[in-house]
Amino acid sequence: MKEFAVFWGCTIQARFPFLEKSVRTVMEGMGLPYRDLSGFTCCPEKSLVNNVDHGLWLLTGARNVALAEAEGLNIVSPCTGCVSNLSTVKSELNADPRKKGEVNALLNGVGRRFEGRAGLSHLVPFFHDEVGAQRIRSAMKKDFKGMRVAVHYGCHMMRPSHALKNDDPLEPKKFDNLVRTLGAESVDHSTKLMCCGQGLDRVDQHDTALHMARLKLRELKNRAVDAMVLCCPSCFLQFDNNQHLMEKEGERFGVPVFYFTDLMGLAMGYTADELGLGLHRVDAGPFLKKWEEVSSRPSSRTAFEEEMRAVTFAMDRL
Amino acid sequence: MLDGVLNFDLLDKCSKCGACFDVCPSCLNIEGYDPRAVIKDILAGQSGRWASSIHVWQCLECHQCLEMCYQHYGFENAMTAMRLYATAKGMHPPQVKRGWDMFVKTGRLGEPAAAGRKKLGLPEPGESGKEEFLKLLKLYREAKKGSQAQ
Ligand code: SF4
Ligand code: SF4
Repeated sequence: MKEFAVFWGCTIQARFPFLEKSVRTVMEGMGLPYRDLSGFTCCPEKSLVNNVDHGLWLLTGARNVALAEAEGLNIVSPCTGCVSNLSTVKSELNADPRKKGEVNALLNGVGRRFEGRAGLSHLVPFFHDEVGAQRIRSAMKKDFKGMRVAVHYGCHMMRPSHALKNDDPLEPKKFDNLVRTLGAESVDHSTKLMCCGQGLDRVDQHDTALHMARLKLRELKNRAVDAMVLCCPSCFLQFDNNQHLMEKEGERFGVPVFYFTDLMGLAMGYTADELGLGLHRVDAGPFLKKWEEVSSRPSSRTAFEEEMRAVTFAMDRL
Repeated sequence: MLDGVLNFDLLDKCSKCGACFDVCPSCLNIEGYDPRAVIKDILAGQSGRWASSIHVWQCLECHQCLEMCYQHYGFENAMTAMRLYATAKGMHPPQVKRGWDMFVKTGRLGEPAAAGRKKLGLPEPGESGKEEFLKLLKLYREAKKGSQAQ
């Protein structure tokens, strides 16, 4: 596998270092050739930067891509927002040579050049396409058979599709496939592709943000899932922090929230501590407890085979 | 005023369609949120009345409308244009102002959490690109001023 640069983004490094820990632990455990580059800035974030100055949004995104291009590296990011923003910048500039020229004229002033060639992937499609199920399975010590998990894609993992081109934008499959590779059931639910709504928290509309979080959490509670899994720091903020806030006010959902690499890491045999699960606001304990119970039970296949053996034995003696 | 950023032909077709209303999470769940009304006003030259509306900030930029749209255009283009317009008038939410200020000062929306990272045994974060970013920002502002003066 070709070496790649990780684009962590502001939110993970500033607010959720434990998510960084989880991602690093899994990437190192699997021996993935990643590199930390110096000099990245904010991707930049769409709602706060693009809504004020589209030109600066393009320029900043192009500079970040140029940094990786100078090293001949592709970018992989555990943040859907970062990947979506960088990809949208790349596709807008590649489609418009005049704009690309203007951007490069400015970048030239700081010794950079945006080619628009670097591959930009989100961690989940990257694991699906580049790492692959076989390598994932061979790294696993345990699986999640018997566990019911709700997959939350997060809008910007695959949208806008003209920029990301990595999955069906309205019926994506890759995250589900990975969760099934880990042995869990991916529980279908009607709010599966619904936007988390965290963006509202960035524009002073906290109550509306909570309202959106509630819609999904209520459904997941009713469907009695054991956890939800996502791979975006904004979605994490929305469902872990905001769920916790609502629980403090007496609304109980009890839906543990995992990053994709948390599940991956647990399956690889890392402990909850090593993955920083104790730093999640919503208690992951019930999930871990059930998992232990389920995995110490003989599987239904073993039970069936044993019963068959007993029956055949009895028949032999007739 | 908005014709530099919006394609009015597509918007005109959009005003006769409305199909994506039913996949828009904000349309379905936030009272009073309805890009159809905004688009109608934009086409009638009345977009100004939305500049101060809380609704233009309730578009989640989730791109559901874009993906579902037969023009691959989407409500979101109208809403983004309205946000740029509101911002130009200084009517953007305080949090957006704060985020922007931090971005143009540091190139980031938050600095790596040093203490938490250390506790977790994480390596030193990559050096920030702040210096180079600020230099680039200066060049950008000069170029912008130059082209406005022309
Ligand atoms: S991008 Fe905005 S308008 Fe379009 S579906 Fe999402 S919330 Fe609705
Ligand atoms: S954005 Fe596209 S799908 Fe939605 S109403 Fe307009 S034309 Fe129809």
